[in-house]
Amino acid sequence: MTEVVLITLFGSGLALMVPVLLAALGEAISEQAGVLNVGIEGTMLFGAAICALVGVNTGSVPLALLAGTVTGMASGVVLSALYVRRGTDQIVTGLLFNIFALGVTGILTAQVIIGNTSPTLSPWTVPLLGRIPKLRDVLNEQNFLFWISIILAVAIFYLLRRTWWGLYVRAAGERPHASSSAGLDVWRLRYTAVIAGNALAGLGGAALVMSTSGRFIPGFTSGRGFIALGVVVVARWNPLWVVAIAGLFGLSQALQFVAGLVSFFDPVPDQFWLALPYLVTVAAVAVSRGTRYPAAVGIPWREPAAEARS
Amino acid sequence: MSEGNGGRSAAGTRLNDQDAGTRGSKDGLARLNVLAAIRHGDILGSILLTMAVMAIIVVAFGGNPWTVAKTIINNSLAEEIFLGQTIMTAAILTLTGLAAAIPFTARLWNIGGEGQMFAGAVVAVTLGIMLPAGTAHGLFVLILIAGAAAGGAVWGSVPGVLKAYFGINEIVTSLMLNFLAFFAANYVVTVAWPEIYAQLQSQEIHDNAHFPDFWASAKVDVSVFIALAAALAAWLLITRTSLGFSIRSIGANPRAARLAGVRTRLVTVSSFVAAGAAGGLAGAVTVGGIHHDLALDLWISNYGYVGIAVALLARLNPMAVLPAAFIFSTLRVGSNSLQAAAGISSSFGEVLIATFVIMLMVTGAIRFRYAQH
Repeated sequence: MTEVVLITLFGSGLALMVPVLLAALGEAISEQAGVLNVGIEGTMLFGAAICALVGVNTGSVPLALLAGTVTGMASGVVLSALYVRRGTDQIVTGLLFNIFALGVTGILTAQVIIGNTSPTLSPWTVPLLGRIPKLRDVLNEQNFLFWISIILAVAIFYLLRRTWWGLYVRAAGERPHASSSAGLDVWRLRYTAVIAGNALAGLGGAALVMSTSGRFIPGFTSGRGFIALGVVVVARWNPLWVVAIAGLFGLSQALQFVAGLVSFFDPVPDQFWLALPYLVTVAAVAVSRGTRYPAAVGIPWREPAAEARS
Repeated sequence: MSEGNGGRSAAGTRLNDQDAGTRGSKDGLARLNVLAAIRHGDILGSILLTMAVMAIIVVAFGGNPWTVAKTIINNSLAEEIFLGQTIMTAAILTLTGLAAAIPFTARLWNIGGEGQMFAGAVVAVTLGIMLPAGTAHGLFVLILIAGAAAGGAVWGSVPGVLKAYFGINEIVTSLMLNFLAFFAANYVVTVAWPEIYAQLQSQEIHDNAHFPDFWASAKVDVSVFIALAAALAAWLLITRTSLGFSIRSIGANPRAARLAGVRTRLVTVSSFVAAGAAGGLAGAVTVGGIHHDLALDLWISNYGYVGIAVALLARLNPMAVLPAAFIFSTLRVGSNSLQAAAGISSSFGEVLIATFVIMLMVTGAIRFRYAQH
């Protein structure tokens, strides 16, 4: 009995982790470059909607995932034009972008997708790890996006913390003025980071569609992008910690599926389990107080030359 | 002064509307020929840009931009019943707009207007069903209003306290509290007092708790006066009280405010409480005024988030929130008829509102200044 509960918990927990993990990795990149991307929820919505749309019309899962990612990049281009090029306020722009995305994906759902279902990813049997008893029951439940997201986390850790580019990006997020004086192109670093970050968020939205029913409904991401904002803070912008914290949120979401299996939980209303991931986010962000955002997060950067001209 | 700086500063910022300067010609976007005519900070330019983007979206979805524009105006202002809806929606948007405008003045990002509205609605529907049906009409309505405001204020105080005393980013917490309030409402609607004849909505509140009508044929009730009073109160608070002065000084430069002796923690919590009360009143309007019950599809109206757009259009001025709310309410209510008239989903309203405010920021008509230190 306990075994069934634990296997269900971890099996669905890891699956639910993937979209939040991808989005949080994207958010980590863009925040390290000094851009707070509150529009991540909107990017996820776009990624999910276009992924479902392409999946419904072509029946091809890889194409749908690609479409989700490219949509994320396109959102990144628009958002970086606003955040970076125009220097509009990042928080407010991001929020409005979310409303925009809610509206456009709402129209898309009503006019084009209309409840059609796209094919989805099936679980993938892991070569070596998939033979270990118990662990096997959890890991073989996962589709290949789970493994991709883990690999991406390691790769992004390496990129941000072990390469020159990563150092430059973090410098642009901490001391853009000094970085610029040292000859770095702050704008280009931020563009790249925002576009890459949004591509990951788009993939996250696509993963959400492809790992569940293959269906898109308005407001489908239900705040997962916002949860990713919290995950990044709790993980202190470290991509490897992002995996752990996103995993925690996956588990807190998965509890709703196992709560019914444990009689002890019977008196607890369903709504509590649905609300739990959001509660955990507030609690985790509260516990991790003292974390410091990159110094220049939220502040648009203008070239000193441009400033002098005005 | 330009709005950019070297990035060393704290996030202390100030809305800056004086320097709609001459920098436009040097900006890349303005260098494009199409946009060359649009001056920096030009509101007319933002309207033109918004109309262009909207026309593209409408055509992309196979609609006719002219039909869409006509439908929105006709179905929000031209008939009594639509005008009534527009006025009532404007009342809600005024209140959620204030929920954003008050803390935004202190550069505190209360994105929890949605949750504060739901908290108010939950309290209102609870009182409306639990209190004895025979409670005197005026008293019942007042209790409902006060209860909803208190509920919203309590809900709003949470991110304020976490921000002020624990240094926790208010964006994430206020966003998460929206979802928590929604699930609380979900509990009320599906478990505590479910309506037997309809899904996802609560029982109706007692007759004596219904807000009295003010213009019955258009279904406009006293909610309008709640919104007017709240806007006036917020304006007095911001411009005429020492708390309002403290709120503005924190917005201008939090460090300087603290050094000058402003009790930043207390002011932070107070501005969130005031915002929450306004959001809670929006909940009271939906329950006591419009629907007389709590329906979960209130969530997809996004009144809390649209309120942020209202506050920005009003440039955070509480009195300007009233016309801003009316303008966006026109677009929202008018869009409800689009599906039938022009074959475009009613979500178009949100797209239009969001695009317009983004364009106001792109042209520099709405700008934030980042304090240097």
